[in-house]
Amino acid sequence: MEVVQIQRNLVDYTKSLFMEGFLDGQFLQLQQLQDESNPDFVAEVVSLFFDDSQKLLNELTIALDQPIVDFKKVDAHVHQLKGSSSSIGAQKVKNACIAFRNFCEVQNIEGCLTCLQQVKLEYYLAKNKFETLFRLEQQIVASGGSIPMIEMGF
Amino acid sequence: MCKKLVQMMQGNVWISTNSLGFAQSMTLLLRFQIQSYIQRTMYAHGTSGEQSNSYSRFRGLRVLLADDDDINRIVTKKMLEKLGCEVTAVSTGFECLSAISHAENSFRVVVLDLHMPEIDGFEVATRIRKFRSRNWPLIIALTASAEDHVRERCLQIGMNAVLQKPVLLQGMAAELQRVLHRTGDGV
Repeated sequence: MEVVQIQRNLVDYTKSLFMEGFLDGQFLQLQQLQDESNPDFVAEVVSLFFDDSQKLLNELTIALDQPIVDFKKVDAHVHQLKGSSSSIGAQKVKNACIAFRNFCEVQNIEGCLTCLQQVKLEYYLAKNKFETLFRLEQQIVASGGSIPMIEMGF
Repeated sequence: MCKKLVQMMQGNVWISTNSLGFAQSMTLLLRFQIQSYIQRTMYAHGTSGEQSNSYSRFRGLRVLLADDDDINRIVTKKMLEKLGCEVTAVSTGFECLSAISHAENSFRVVVLDLHMPEIDGFEVATRIRKFRSRNWPLIIALTASAEDHVRERCLQIGMNAVLQKPVLLQGMAAELQRVLHRTGDGV
């Protein structure tokens, strides 16, 4: 496939991620931080996010499975997940965490369990999307192309 | 739709200087700064110069960053480094206090996450303000909360600024500028 076509795919794909709410402006912030001294910064941070989040999700599953649920602990985990997803611009994951925290506050187990499922779903979706994004970028670079600069206009 | 635009603008206003004047268009376009291996060598001598010039006043500024979340800590650290700061990052309140109490470290600014386990940012800041009577480091709090009482409590304890998370590069730059200027360190 021609580089130009892959570049076009990347642009379209990225646009769709913003339009569908998977990504928000914070992701752009992350990209601002990437430079020649740290060319893989975004990919590294996103990768770390998914590793850390997996652990948090495991902790949450265990915590909600206890005979007596420690909602403070659950809330702390969700708060952390909310914070880190927010930092990388993973909007849907962040929003799922916000809903989750509301149920923690009123100590509603059923609500929490449902939210946990939702967060897990959003986590896997986001992971998938990011992987596709980075794969497209790698393909472009491997073909000797440059990641396209797209303008933001209104 | 508008919400998404606002969110996207939030992180991106400064980038749109190159806008080709698509003001009338309802098309939403996005801009990235990821550079290819080929372009990287071209950028080696500072095309990011436009930014680095305006951020040079922070060059060498010694900052201590305390945040228990790995992701947030890495992102905030990179942000501060992008602004030219020399950053030491720790992940607990105790490490933060320990780092400050070592005489050879003289941090000008402490960037402090308020919500850390074991010992939170409020407590850390209170203790900092107690034991350092000279060379008060400036303290910038980071919080996800938008509530006024949080801000008030921070200022009462003696912190110098409160930044809401997620932090933006321009936001951090603006707060650093503000707190340094107030103490007469502004260049």
